[in-house]
Amino acid sequence: MTGFIQQIINGLSIGSVYALMAVGYSLVYSIMNFSNFAHGGIIMFGAYFGFFFMTLYKFPFSIAFIASGICAALMAILVERVAYKPLRDRRAPFLYFIISAMGVSIFLENIIIATIGPTFRTYPEVFSTQPIKIGNMAIGRIDLTMFIISAVFLVLLIYLIDYTKIGKAIQATSFNMKASALMGINTDFIILLVFGLGGFLAGLAGVLFGMKYTVYPQIGNITLKSFIAAVFGGLGSLQGAVIGSVLLGIIETITSGYISSQYRDLIAFVLLIFILVVRPMGLMGKVTEDKA
Amino acid sequence: MLKVRNLHVFYGGIHALKGINVEVKQGEIVTIIGSNGAGKSTLLNTITGIVKPKEGEIFYKDKKLSLIPHKIVANGICQVPEGRLVFANLTVKDNLLLGAYLRKDKAEINKDLQNVYEIFPRLKEREKQMAGTLSGGEQQMLAIGRALMGRPEIMLLDEPSLGLAPLLVDTIFKIILDIKKMGKTILLVEQNAFKALEIADRAYVLEQGRITLEGSAKDIAANPKVQEAYLGKRVTE
Ligand SMILES: Nc1ncnc2c1ncn2[C@@H]1O[C@H](COP(=O)(O)OP(=O)(O)OP(=O)(O)O)[C@@H](O)[C@H]1O
Ligand SMILES: [Mg+2]
Repeated sequence: MTGFIQQIINGLSIGSVYALMAVGYSLVYSIMNFSNFAHGGIIMFGAYFGFFFMTLYKFPFSIAFIASGICAALMAILVERVAYKPLRDRRAPFLYFIISAMGVSIFLENIIIATIGPTFRTYPEVFSTQPIKIGNMAIGRIDLTMFIISAVFLVLLIYLIDYTKIGKAIQATSFNMKASALMGINTDFIILLVFGLGGFLAGLAGVLFGMKYTVYPQIGNITLKSFIAAVFGGLGSLQGAVIGSVLLGIIETITSGYISSQYRDLIAFVLLIFILVVRPMGLMGKVTEDKA
Repeated sequence: MLKVRNLHVFYGGIHALKGINVEVKQGEIVTIIGSNGAGKSTLLNTITGIVKPKEGEIFYKDKKLSLIPHKIVANGICQVPEGRLVFANLTVKDNLLLGAYLRKDKAEINKDLQNVYEIFPRLKEREKQMAGTLSGGEQQMLAIGRALMGRPEIMLLDEPSLGLAPLLVDTIFKIILDIKKMGKTILLVEQNAFKALEIADRAYVLEQGRITLEGSAKDIAANPKVQEAYLGKRVTE
């Protein structure tokens, strides 16, 4: 029983970091209506930013963490300006955006391989590997930290989107860009803001993953998991993305713990296909339509 | 107040507006009538910056108007778009508050909110409901109310009576007259030429991207060509 609870806690911890990635991905999707495959590249850069801030510049963890988020946010904004805005201005078909996003993703991965090299790098030890003991359960300090930090930022994001004026403007823009512009909303700024927010959270997620595992140029592939989680929860719904991520995290740890870690991804992807077939709008996806 | 000079708009190869001149004076209701695809919505979208013109100018209070939508709204120009485009994913109240997005005067915004609820009591009842669940007529009320929340000086209405039951059409036109009495200027695009000409001061007829007739609403309504093309059914009744 304690083993099971421990798996759940590990799942929550991994799932909450998936959620950090999934909400940014979902936000961009809800405004731009395309899958931003460059998101993984931003996560990878976040992981490297954190690594170099801590090893080369000897920043304390908290500063390295936030600075990595900010740098990742600026990068996400830069990607939007360079790779997507010209397409938006030309009203290019969505396929062009997806191809551009894939191009950016491959570019980001390879620029790291070419400059820094393909080797795996390990973060300095920030949190002691000595687990915290509660009864006869042992919880890893890193896992606990990951969970708490992610939860705090997720709550802040959901508050921003659901309860502030700028958040309502983001929701309006995601529903209809023309109508939002007619309200006086600067939709171009909203797009930058959404890329910035998504990039910031992606940077944080990158540092957390880099800290828990290692840093390597393909670490961004982990976003595939957050895509699954976002679809699983219902694309465009932030709460859905969070719930989908946490469920995915728990399913993964339970599969690894009780079946085999070999089956982890297999089960996750089968689940995705199953959800798409049975409930295409996801767990929390809203079915809203514009009445003529 | 609003002057459109020699406006040309293209969608790729389609020449949608071919040198349009339109003027709207302070306090007037001006209507643009024309059949499907004449370019009426294109004209409104160009004024509000959603569509960029290839050639021509738009002046507002004798100054050249910006081409950027949110700056145009800040000037006091607001469009109620064709098909309402209410934010279905937000509540009725949030929709109305978004209409006041550029305003900072909280107390006055609240006052205007109560005013809109007075004009459209139905919206007050449905304040907390998602806008996507409103009926078509209620959505039209919401779209007009949302535009009023911005305290525009000039409102551009794109087919506000589209798809509404006759009784509701009358209500909407009565409200447009009330809005005029509030001191606002109105540019009204309508398929329902009969009703539009009834409340308008002046009118333009738009055909395939060109203005073919203009004059006082009375004269336009009396014009035999207009009667045949746009009011035909009514005259023989
Ligand atoms: N986004 C677009 N891309 C290409 N062509 C367009 C676009 N919008 C409008 N058009 C074309 O421009 C012309 C004018 O369209 P517009 O929507 O302005 O007509 P309208 O007078 O408002 O018609 P309706 O009464 O049916 O609303 C039409 O031929 C239309 O097909
Ligand atoms: Mg139209």
